[in-house]
Amino acid sequence: MHGEYKMPGGKLVVIDLDLHDDRLANVQLSGDFFLEPDSALHTINAALTGQPADADEAMLTTAVQTAISSEVMMYGVSPEAIAVAVRRALHQGPDA
Amino acid sequence: MMRTDWRDHDWQLIHTVPQSPTLHMALDDVLTHEVGTGRRTPTLRIWEWAAPAVVIGRFQSLRNEVDAAAAQRHGIEVVRRVSGGGAMFIEPGNTITYSIYAPLSLIKGLSFQESYAFMDAWVIEALGELGIKAWYQPLNDITSAGGKIAGAAQAHRGGAVLHHVTMAYDIDAAKMLEVLRIGREKLSDKGTTSAAKRVDPLRSQTGLPREAVIARMIATFRRLHGLSDDSLRANELADAEALAQSKFASAAWLADVP
Repeated sequence: MHGEYKMPGGKLVVIDLDLHDDRLANVQLSGDFFLEPDSALHTINAALTGQPADADEAMLTTAVQTAISSEVMMYGVSPEAIAVAVRRALHQGPDA
Repeated sequence: MMRTDWRDHDWQLIHTVPQSPTLHMALDDVLTHEVGTGRRTPTLRIWEWAAPAVVIGRFQSLRNEVDAAAAQRHGIEVVRRVSGGGAMFIEPGNTITYSIYAPLSLIKGLSFQESYAFMDAWVIEALGELGIKAWYQPLNDITSAGGKIAGAAQAHRGGAVLHHVTMAYDIDAAKMLEVLRIGREKLSDKGTTSAAKRVDPLRSQTGLPREAVIARMIATFRRLHGLSDDSLRANELADAEALAQSKFASAAWLADVP
């Protein structure tokens, strides 16, 4: 499943994921944004993996926020934008 | 750490023979590290390309961004760089690419947005001297009334900032669109559905040979910030060649974001 969100004033935020037993699996965040350090990408993927398929944007935002340390710098991407891209992937399904 | 200014540093210029895409990726990694440790003073590197390439951003999905079959058909190597940002389509002679390696003190206290504009202010001035009224378009583009000219990306690591920019000198837009997958969502806030229309290259805007544009840029940097002619050291080149093979040419790195 694939979802894209162009963050207003930011960059393109893309999520690819599968669903296993109504939970997010194989979550892959990507896009043309900036993240420091780059290891934060894997931290965010791991934080989203296992979230329930019916998690709303607020829950997904919180999951990302709590997983990343205060040292992580985001430019052109945000926990909220990632949550929107996840919801779009879940809504649009495999053919989107 | 005190904020430093351009003139507090002894800037070095590296502008050497054409090099392979993977070696360029590795040189950015090695030279950022060398400036971070203080073994090298801050440096401007102008790239010359030995082969066509698609350079994708650190966080971009390989399969979402690149049509691998089209890239192979055109003999275009696909590489992943260390910084974020978007994909670039490179053909030798069609782009002007440079990297700036500086201590983080140069951008201390600046926001991301401010630091991008600060690192490229000399280029905006050089373009003005060439008759192009250009400006910074947040987050990371240099643009003019005619369209986008360049895209910038930064990576911060080990006390140093890597700031690199690719400017369009000329462009084969049809080939670019064959090789890069440019999604509808990406274009949703650009006011056009034609990616080709978004770029207005320097060749048509200046009427000058690429070498003349580069010479003007170097002269402007030298006048504003000071610049000594330098070359790659043997150990820097050896480190970069090893890293190009072990990391940047590897499938694991290229497909790190599949």
